[in-house]
Amino acid sequence: MDLKSKLDSIKEEYWSSQKENEEIVISVGMGTCGIAAGAEEVWETINNEIKNRNLKNIRLEKTGCIGLCAREPLIEIRDDEKSIFYGDLNQERVSEIIFQHIIQDNIISKWTINADNDFFKDQERIVLKNCGKIDPESIEEAIVNEAYQGIAKILLNEMESSEVINLIKEANLRGRGGAGFPTGLKWKFAYENNAEQKYLICNADEGDPGAFMDRSILEGDPHRLIEGMIIAGYAIEASKGFIYCRAEYPLALKRLEKAIKDAEEIGILGEDIFSSGFDFELNIRLGAGAFVCGEETSLISSVEGERGEPKPKPPYPAESGLWKKPTIINNVETLANVPEIVRNGSDWFQSFGTDKSPGTKVFALAGKIKNNGLVEVPMGTKIGEVIFDIGGGLENGNKFKAAQTGGPSGGCIPIEHLNVSIDYESLQELGTIMGSGGMIIMDDQTCMVDLAKYFIDFCKDESCGQCTPCRIGTTRMLEILEKITNGKGSLEDIELLKEMGEVIKDSAFCGLGQTAANPVLSTIRYFENEYKEHIKNDYCESSVCAALFNSPCQNSCPANVDVPMYIDLVRQGKYKEAYKVVQEENPLVLICGRVCYNLCENSCNRNSIDEALAIRELKRFVSDHLLEEEGAFPVPEIAEEKEKEVAIVGSGPSGLTAAFYLRKKGYKVTVFEAESEVGGMLATAIPEYRLPKKLLNEEISVLTTMGIQFIVNTKVGKDISLKELKNRGYWAVYMAVGAQKDRSLSLEGDDELPHVYSALELLRDINLGKNVDMEGKKVAIIGGGNAAIDIARNLVRLNADEVNIVYRRTEKDMPAHKEEIEEAKYEQVKMHFQVNPVKVINVKNKIKGLECVNIKGGEFDNSGRRKPKEVENSNFVLNVDTVVSAIGQKVNNEFNSDNLKLEMNDKSLISVDDDHSTNIPWVFAGGDCVTGPSTVVESIQQGKKSARSIDKYLGGDGVIISKNKREREITSEVLQEEKGRVKMPTILLSERKKGFVEVEKGYAEDQAVEEAERCLRCDVEDK
Amino acid sequence: MSTTKEKQIKKSEDIDWIEVNKKIDKYISELESESDALIEVLHKVQSLLGYIPKRTQKRIAKELELAPGKISSVMSFYSHFSAKPKGKYQIAICKGTACYVKGSVDIIEKVEEVYDLNSGDTTDDGIFSLEVVRCLGACGLAPVMTVNGKAHGLLNPDKAVKILEKYKNGEM
Repeated sequence: MDLKSKLDSIKEEYWSSQKENEEIVISVGMGTCGIAAGAEEVWETINNEIKNRNLKNIRLEKTGCIGLCAREPLIEIRDDEKSIFYGDLNQERVSEIIFQHIIQDNIISKWTINADNDFFKDQERIVLKNCGKIDPESIEEAIVNEAYQGIAKILLNEMESSEVINLIKEANLRGRGGAGFPTGLKWKFAYENNAEQKYLICNADEGDPGAFMDRSILEGDPHRLIEGMIIAGYAIEASKGFIYCRAEYPLALKRLEKAIKDAEEIGILGEDIFSSGFDFELNIRLGAGAFVCGEETSLISSVEGERGEPKPKPPYPAESGLWKKPTIINNVETLANVPEIVRNGSDWFQSFGTDKSPGTKVFALAGKIKNNGLVEVPMGTKIGEVIFDIGGGLENGNKFKAAQTGGPSGGCIPIEHLNVSIDYESLQELGTIMGSGGMIIMDDQTCMVDLAKYFIDFCKDESCGQCTPCRIGTTRMLEILEKITNGKGSLEDIELLKEMGEVIKDSAFCGLGQTAANPVLSTIRYFENEYKEHIKNDYCESSVCAALFNSPCQNSCPANVDVPMYIDLVRQGKYKEAYKVVQEENPLVLICGRVCYNLCENSCNRNSIDEALAIRELKRFVSDHLLEEEGAFPVPEIAEEKEKEVAIVGSGPSGLTAAFYLRKKGYKVTVFEAESEVGGMLATAIPEYRLPKKLLNEEISVLTTMGIQFIVNTKVGKDISLKELKNRGYWAVYMAVGAQKDRSLSLEGDDELPHVYSALELLRDINLGKNVDMEGKKVAIIGGGNAAIDIARNLVRLNADEVNIVYRRTEKDMPAHKEEIEEAKYEQVKMHFQVNPVKVINVKNKIKGLECVNIKGGEFDNSGRRKPKEVENSNFVLNVDTVVSAIGQKVNNEFNSDNLKLEMNDKSLISVDDDHSTNIPWVFAGGDCVTGPSTVVESIQQGKKSARSIDKYLGGDGVIISKNKREREITSEVLQEEKGRVKMPTILLSERKKGFVEVEKGYAEDQAVEEAERCLRCDVEDK
Repeated sequence: MSTTKEKQIKKSEDIDWIEVNKKIDKYISELESESDALIEVLHKVQSLLGYIPKRTQKRIAKELELAPGKISSVMSFYSHFSAKPKGKYQIAICKGTACYVKGSVDIIEKVEEVYDLNSGDTTDDGIFSLEVVRCLGACGLAPVMTVNGKAHGLLNPDKAVKILEKYKNGEM
């Protein structure tokens, strides 16, 4: 009998053995990930349910990795009509599913995974076709799914070895281990070397940390690899093959051993396979944890039972390899492609992917990504599509920073290159490599210097020690990186790292050494600024390099507030001391307790246990409590009075902060404010329901008590010029005028209409108590920033009939803060995402609607968001009578009224140096007028930096906060158990609609203390 | 290769050497070829005893007709082989890239602190031994550790210790 007939008879037998009444198949994903997540228990439960309920029509199967590791354990329930996936399962849930789905025929939709969702939809599965579909321990199931048809075709047609090689060459299959060498060509070399014995080795020593593609193939579809090896053996005329697999993969090894045994029993492996005269014997060799064995000459040494040290090339293994015989080494995925190419032809294979890189590539998507898992995409797919469509974006909606490919030999791809096509050449241009397929996604909590250190540490450990560049070079590079991450680096170190990297690249002996410096070079290429921040400012923005900060919350606070210290004081009931600790670094305690967007909470270590500490809420409690108990806030001591006077232009957070610190130093400070009220945006833009005016003024009164003068209704450039300020005797001027001018919409029809409001003007009118009549109006607000949300929520309180927000990108892309978006939704604001306005419909000078067009995401822009692209013929009219434009703000440069002009940059912002000095020596600038619209706490940071510079300019030492080292010790037991945060009480929607009462009610004292007890005290070193 | 089965700690004096030697000799005598067998034999012994004691190394050298130095030379090259006895529960905490960026270092530090245990060592009571490994290939569930080969995923420091306590108390 020939192989083809044998396979046919096995298929027939399989189908006839299927019990007629088995209408439903339940398969449980049982790869390593699935088992780690509890798939065995799930399988057991289903098995018991079937028995106990005496269900007859079900077949329960084990299968390999289904792919969506993030949702393990996973099962698939399929019958003739449909296939349903359930994920995130446990024993209770599957019992419920058996009852509801199987017995009652009710699909429990809350646990299903939509198979049409982007994760599966955008993939193209060639190598992973059977993975997660078949029982990997059943050769019959593999055969039913076309296993061994490729080699059967070769044997049936009596194809020559050279014909097989040509087929692979025509398909242009390239090595999936990462380097992309043409497989057919490699085979040809070995084929042309005549020798009695040749060998084929499959490299399954998946050593790249963060890669698990090969494991999944071995666990999910081992017969595909075996067939690929038989065909390769046939092509190069090797009668012996080895699979060199890492010992860390016990399940893969078990399934592989069984698959080999089953194949031998059927006669697909062994001598004279189906009387073809072709012998092929397959053995497994275990790796033993040496990364360098991924290098082919090392791997050969290891198979020979020796230390896995690399050997010089040439001779290449195709000429003299294992036991000095011609040997070909291919990676698992490469070989797994081969049977499909033989079955379907080279043209078919070429129809996937790009010209130079046909076919697909499997990636193990891991790290900070939502849909962790195993994906296979056509070559040429954009990396951004893999991350954001298939991968679902980042975990917890965090911001993408970089993707790392190629493991310790690779590099990273930063946000500005999300459009790069996945193919060998394009990735190389960016300084990384395709690699074997590990793709680690990183967010802004990953420090790139630390990552470089991680990889160099890895390579140093894995260096075999044979050659000096690799052995000593990686050690020295690690030492330098350690210096930098400990805050002891110098700028020359960056140059030294680059130089050493290049030298190691050129002089190391093997592939491991030559590529060891890549992660360092690549992170310097794209993130040199992060290196510099570590070196120059002892600052690790991701709060990873622990030697550079006391606690991650303090480190990520732009105002540098000593968070754990004041939280601890709250725990002890010392509220006044707590206020003082905050005030030392941030004079706007009450204000930030209400409106800060708590960057500190993103980096809170409590996130890994349950959820971040409610830091802002506690800050608010401290100020509320003080006000209630003492009626006022503590006023800092003023240093010795100085004669010199400073003028501050603008009384927003940046101006107030600079005024506070300069006055503390003893300068006479006057603040000029254009509006009738002090506070800048705090008074004119932040809504009353978030920051009541009365409370704002309570905190400003600390500054007046300190002796700071406020002059309102005085606009610099209109009421007084810069030159006049100088003439009045001010030694220095701090410009903190903000970005107060709305960008115009320039829509067709908007300019002639009085009813198109601009956001800041409208907010100002509402905040300053002007009569704004919105009752019964249907409003469209255009924009996705905080101003848009603030307007929307204000209009809800002014009893507008319908409030719409129209935004051209997706919700994830909105610059507005998440909490605010959620509150707006709760307040029934309608959000229209991916919609762009095109025309205000004007009938007799009245707005009769807003014509909009649908948008779809195009290419990725530099911010990692998709560029809006209009969908043709998708125009529609939003039925509104009022339109508000909230598409951003810019600096009003009226201050440049006379011939003394401040230099502006190409973004129309005031141009400053690092120390906030401008082109006029006695004028400094900071805040939104320098950075563009930002947050309150960032403006505070700018005010502090500027105060330092102004003090220095005026002859001071530039020290505005005395650095007294605080004793850090644990005052009560640290709570490590899971315990969610104390929820901030808020008022109901009905109350919100009645007016501008503050939405958040604040903690009661016992709630505050309870919350403070959750702090992990990361600042204390010896706990 | 570790299995999910509970492993008894095997100190030299607890081992039935006659039995073990017999097994090793039998394994070696059944090998097809001896020239490339060293690593295979080392794997076999380690799965039998949990480690490869000095005296066994000498025996292997004799049987395979290799210099004893060759055995330690090969063993020292591969991180998988150990000449020191392992604990009843062998903990392997993954420090692959995915686990690393998701905080496995905090877990390693916590386990080291709680059990006064460094990577490569065994606790004095012989209950736990700890290994920090480069990648277990279960990145989808990072951070991950295995205990006697059984994987536990989506950990944080607290969860990891809770799981280890369960092993210690015989609840797992």
